[in-house]
Amino acid sequence: MAKMRQQIVEADSDRWEAQLRKGALEMAALASLWNGRLYGLEIIRFLETHSRLVLAEGTIYPILNRLKTEGLLTSEWVEAEAGHPRKYYSLTEAGRLRLREMARAWVSFSSGLSRLLEPLLETEEISK
Amino acid sequence: MNAEYQMKNYLDDLRLHLGPMTLNEREEIVKEISAHIRDAAETGTNMETILDRLGSAGELAAQYRDGLLIRTASRSVSPLKLMRAALRLATKGVFGVFVFFVGIVGYAMGGGMAISGMLKPIFPAHTGMWIQDGRLVAFGTQFPSIGPPAHEVLGMWYIPLMLTAGSLTLLLTTFLIRTSLQISQKWQLRLQRNGGMA
Repeated sequence: MAKMRQQIVEADSDRWEAQLRKGALEMAALASLWNGRLYGLEIIRFLETHSRLVLAEGTIYPILNRLKTEGLLTSEWVEAEAGHPRKYYSLTEAGRLRLREMARAWVSFSSGLSRLLEPLLETEEISK
Repeated sequence: MNAEYQMKNYLDDLRLHLGPMTLNEREEIVKEISAHIRDAAETGTNMETILDRLGSAGELAAQYRDGLLIRTASRSVSPLKLMRAALRLATKGVFGVFVFFVGIVGYAMGGGMAISGMLKPIFPAHTGMWIQDGRLVAFGTQFPSIGPPAHEVLGMWYIPLMLTAGSLTLLLTTFLIRTSLQISQKWQLRLQRNGGMA
């Protein structure tokens, strides 16, 4: 019974974490382009290196596509030395503004939540 | 199976699953995913791992398609596109079911009135609005025809009245579905943003 309860708790928190990552990914994809244009695989590697966000690689391309449709990104095909063209994405002015708004809201929200949650983790460590 | 063949298979499969999109959108996506696979292969990752990380072609296409139908339909006036989008919305919740129901009823009523107006010159004795003792007893195109003591009151005015009422009902239905689709998109965007902040 306890094992079953543990499995349910783990499955629920996995699902919650997956949703959390998915929601944050849109903002992370915009943030990766703050310093200049990148193509798909570079964005994935950038996020892995800078935010430890490990992605199912297929998830990023539909997100980039949607952000482009919303006018937050532009894209251009550039011929590469690799022998095939690459699609580079850049932030539009609207994308920069939206990202700033998102970052501001995220930082204030997460710092508030951290204040709420940190005591819980400390209690757990003490009880160990 | 060699890598080039695996990649071609995957891209063909993706193209197939992206079917409902326009040719340009589809080829742009396939070109980008093809570039991703080649770039990843150049880093020494084997083809199975690359394709595995992308997810199945069906899943990848579904992520692209999700929302596209609703997005394009919300700018369209085609009843077929609007009803397909309303049907998709109906799979997502009660609001969608309501929109789909309004669409079915609205288009059926509007279309019915317009057709009935057009049938008046062909079946003048069978089409109209019948009244008996001040009460409406029948309306539309009736077989067999309604006889006395009920009598038809609109005559040939039935044609412009029904054509106008039918067209207005069709327009109103189109407007209602489009507005509902746009509202649902806004809700979804808000949900995604809130999800991102949570």
